[in-house]
Amino acid sequence: MAEQTNQDSTKSLMEEIGITDREIANRCAFLELGEKDIKELLGIDPVAEAYADPVIEDFYKHLLNFEETRVFFQDRQVLERVKRAQKQYFARLTRGNYDKDYIEDRLKIGAVHERIGLPVKAYLGMYNFYLRNVAARLFDEYKNDREKALRAFLSLLKVVFLDMGLAIDTYINRREQLIGKQQEAMRELPTPVLRVRERLLILPVVGVLESYRAHQLTEQLLESIGTTRAKAAIVDITGVPVVDSRVANHLLQTVSAARLMGATVILTGLSSQIAQALVAIGVDLSQVKTTVDLQSGLEEAERLLGYRLVPAGDKARSDQLHP
Amino acid sequence: MTDVVQITVRSDADIILVRQQARMLAKELGFSSSDLTLIATALSELARNIVEYARQGEIVLSQIRQGSRRGITIIARDRGPGIADIERAMLDGYSTGKGLGLGLPGAKRLMDEFEITSSLGQGTTVKATKWAR
Repeated sequence: MAEQTNQDSTKSLMEEIGITDREIANRCAFLELGEKDIKELLGIDPVAEAYADPVIEDFYKHLLNFEETRVFFQDRQVLERVKRAQKQYFARLTRGNYDKDYIEDRLKIGAVHERIGLPVKAYLGMYNFYLRNVAARLFDEYKNDREKALRAFLSLLKVVFLDMGLAIDTYINRREQLIGKQQEAMRELPTPVLRVRERLLILPVVGVLESYRAHQLTEQLLESIGTTRAKAAIVDITGVPVVDSRVANHLLQTVSAARLMGATVILTGLSSQIAQALVAIGVDLSQVKTTVDLQSGLEEAERLLGYRLVPAGDKARSDQLHP
Repeated sequence: MTDVVQITVRSDADIILVRQQARMLAKELGFSSSDLTLIATALSELARNIVEYARQGEIVLSQIRQGSRRGITIIARDRGPGIADIERAMLDGYSTGKGLGLGLPGAKRLMDEFEITSSLGQGTTVKATKWAR
C-alpha cells in the first residue's frame, strides 16, 4: 500500500459506513464473486496491462466530450495526474486480493469523487463506457476463444459492481452526514418561552417533539418559571403532529415539576386526533389542565391569576365595576 | 399488490422518517386523518422501543390490498435482548425502562391486529396491521 499514512482515515471511513469483514464476505457472496473469478481476472491481467493505455485515452476522450464531465479536468496537469491514477485504479481490477485493503482503497476513491461533486450518473456512465471499451478489446484479444472472453468479462463485471456499490455507499454516507449536521443545527432552534403578562408564560411548541427537544422544553420552562416567578404557563402543542406515550410521559413530568415550583401548566392545542390516540394508548392526562385551543388556555390562565379582560369601549361599565 | 418500505431505525431522526413514510403510505390507501395519527403513534411506540432496548432494528411498512380491503402492516424487528415475559410486557404499566409502560399495549390498542414474537438474546418482532375503514 503506497499511502500508509492515509490508512487510518480510510479505516474510519470503512467503520463509518459499517463495512466489516462479514459485510465484505456478504457482498462478495451476493455477487457470487469467488475463487474462479479471481483466477479469470488474474488470467487476463497481462492483457489488461497491454490495453491499459489505449483504454485510458479513449476514456478521457469520451469524458472531455461532455460539458458535465469536462469541468473536472480544466487543468492540463490535473488531467495528467488523474489519468495516471485512473489507470492504476483500472489495473487494480484484475490483480485479485479483493480484501479489506482493496475495499478501503475503493471507498477512499469513492469519497474523492463525492467531494469534487462528480454526479453519480457521471460515475456510472464512465464505468459503463469503460466496460464497453474493455469488452470490445477482450473479445478481440480472445477471438478464438470467445467463451473465455465472456467468462473473464463476467468476472470483471462482478468486481466492478462491488466497486460501484462501495462508491455509491460513500455518496450516501456523505449525504447522511450532511443530514445529521443539519439536524443538529435544527436542534439549536430555540423553543422560546414568551412572557405574556406578569407571571404568565407561553411556550409554543412547533414540530416533532423527539426526546432531545422534549428535554430542552422541560428545562427551559422550569428555568423560566424560576426566573420570572411565573404562576401559570401555557404549553401549546397545536404544532406537534404526534404525541406518543414517551412524549406524554415527558409532558406529565414537566407539569409535576412545574407544580412543585408553584406554577400551573395548561396544555393547549391537543387536536382531536392526538386526544383519541392518547386515550387509545391509555395515557392518563386527567391530572393536567388541558384546553382545546390557545385562546381558552389564555382565558383559563388569566382566571387563575385573577385577571379580568374588559373591552376598552366599556369604560363606564368598567369604572362602575372598579370604583 | 404490495408496496413496501424498509427503514433502519437507530435514532429519533429515523423514527420521524418512519412516521412520515407511514403517513404517506396510509394516505394513499385512503385512511382518515385520525387513523393516520393512530398509525403514526403506534409506529412511534414500536420504533422507540427498538431504539431504547435494542439500539437498532428495522421497520418494514407494507400496503396491503385484499379485494376491496385496504390496510397497512407494520413489522418492527430487532436483534436486541428480547423480552423475557411477553405477557407481562403486554400489561399496562409494566416497563423495564423508565417509560409509562404503555408502549406495547398502547400500540396494540391503536392497531387492529397485533402479533409479537420474542426470544431472549434473539430479538423481538412485532407485526401489526390497521385496516382502512
